[in-house]
Amino acid sequence: MSIGGTSTGIAHRAPTDVYSPRKYKPTGRRVFGLDKIALTLVMLYLLIPLGATLWFGLNTGNGFDLSSYQRIFSDPDFSQTIITSLELAIGATILVVVLVTPTAYWVQLRIPRARPLLDFLSLVPFAMPAIILAVGLVQEYSGTANPLIGYLSLGLVPVLSKNFNIVNTPPLLVCAYVIIALPFVYRPIDNSLRAINTTVLTEAAYSLGSGWWRAFLTVILPNIWPGIISAALLTFSTVMGEFTIAQLFSIYTFPIFLNNVGQEDPHRAASLAILSFILTLICVLSIILLVRRRPAGLGKDGQVEIGTAK
Amino acid sequence: MQPQVARGIADTATARKPSEASTRTRRQGGRGWSYTLTSWLGLVPFLLFCLLFEIFPAIIIIQGSFTDNNTGAATLDNYRHMFSQASNLHAFQTSISISIVTALLGGVIGGFAAYGVYNLRTGWLRNFLIGFSSIAANFAGIPLAFAFIATLGVKGFVTVAILNWFHANLYDLGFSIYQFWGLVIVYTYFQLPLMILVTLPALSALRPEWREAATNLGASNFTYWRRVGLPILLPSLIAATMLLFANSFGAFATAFALAQGNINLVPILINYVVNGNVTIDFGLGNALAVGMIIVLLVAVSLYTAMLRRVNIWQGR
Repeated sequence: MSIGGTSTGIAHRAPTDVYSPRKYKPTGRRVFGLDKIALTLVMLYLLIPLGATLWFGLNTGNGFDLSSYQRIFSDPDFSQTIITSLELAIGATILVVVLVTPTAYWVQLRIPRARPLLDFLSLVPFAMPAIILAVGLVQEYSGTANPLIGYLSLGLVPVLSKNFNIVNTPPLLVCAYVIIALPFVYRPIDNSLRAINTTVLTEAAYSLGSGWWRAFLTVILPNIWPGIISAALLTFSTVMGEFTIAQLFSIYTFPIFLNNVGQEDPHRAASLAILSFILTLICVLSIILLVRRRPAGLGKDGQVEIGTAK
Repeated sequence: MQPQVARGIADTATARKPSEASTRTRRQGGRGWSYTLTSWLGLVPFLLFCLLFEIFPAIIIIQGSFTDNNTGAATLDNYRHMFSQASNLHAFQTSISISIVTALLGGVIGGFAAYGVYNLRTGWLRNFLIGFSSIAANFAGIPLAFAFIATLGVKGFVTVAILNWFHANLYDLGFSIYQFWGLVIVYTYFQLPLMILVTLPALSALRPEWREAATNLGASNFTYWRRVGLPILLPSLIAATMLLFANSFGAFATAFALAQGNINLVPILINYVVNGNVTIDFGLGNALAVGMIIVLLVAVSLYTAMLRRVNIWQGR
């Protein structure tokens, strides 16, 4: 690591920095140390495949043209799967925000004791990746009677699987996506709630005569908006790219279309990969732009949480 | 007890003056049971959802791994089956080694790169790199696999470039994007930016005062890192590496699209066993899944244990 001595560091520091202690970092005097080399290499590593994919998609073997993009846009499956994925993504995003936000607020306000439980529930998806969750859900709602689960759920699971027949349906897929999204939805929302003084704000709202819901919707919600936006857009971007569960449920979504195309034509698949990169780009850029405007609830580095559609 | 109960009900029914209520009840030593009850009732929708779609699937996997597919009787046959086939054990071996290799690669190189970002003084460049890292960390799954086929596949951009410039064919040299090391290269793509994003907050917790104090006491740069910097960062670094491990251990889509089943990883094997065209064996799938959960539990418990240590240092 490239660290000069602190004593020399002070002498070399730009004069403006002397008066801004926050900017003062007594490190990195040398222009190019190991850390900068690693950073440059990593950025090259991240950029080269993108450039190569763009090139590969435009290159049709005899010259460069946009024919692979034309073929994609004229494919009826493209628009159909994009719409399916959009519906799933919007459904999962709305459901996860509606489910988590009031709960996190309620826990903060009324039962901080339950926080470890929520932490645990939002940590479980780390130990239970999408493929396992999907295999479990398929068996749970397959309709074969499972006395233990029927008993534990007070008869709810048998009703859902027999009367509503939800196995392998889009609604169950949306529910699975909500679970996958929990780790990176709960944390930013909970952090935003902790960053503002929830109890004082709520009590102020109460004393001015508003009820619980009104306090939540008009006082708390506007204050934790950045956390909710970043959670929502991450969920959206994750669901748009999720393949594992959709594949197991045999629901024809955009990533499955992408996989099918890739098996026959890698050039078109490369162009599709660029399109989904642009989609991710739009989501992350919106997080950065929308969240930057209101600094409350941001992580230390304006950090964006990370989705898990691997 | 009676006024307390009444208080609790009034509190939740109208929810007008909780501050007054809370001071009063606190003086009386604790809230009423109905207040507690309504507090927990507010959690019911969320908990019910998690039970139905998160906890029950886990229970079914574990229970199913000890159940015979046909008779439904309790049995250890699924595990016997799992351990008797060399390909199953080989899948665990491949999955674990690929996760360790990519977690270490991502952890070490990404750690240095994160330090590079931390040292950057230009604000816009720093913001750009952080933003780009979040995009790259989220760019995974199927598109990533095809991006790498376009880059390092048989006719990929880099393969062709190396052939034209150095007259060396990577695929003649034994490299293949569809094999173990190819998959390592692809997984590292999402591991590196993830490491940068996870490590940056930990680096910001390093206080300049500590370095000043160490330097004043005569510590060299190396001594500072060995005695102060690294010991403080170590829990965060281990936690981050565990996150990377879990991240690549559970990854399915990337490997599936890339190798179409040519690489024997546990998630691919599970998918094959429960979703194959030939036979469907949920018992074996469940046993494999339990194996995966056990490996991941080790990683996740190390992760949480390390995070707890981090919180001590950062005084949270």
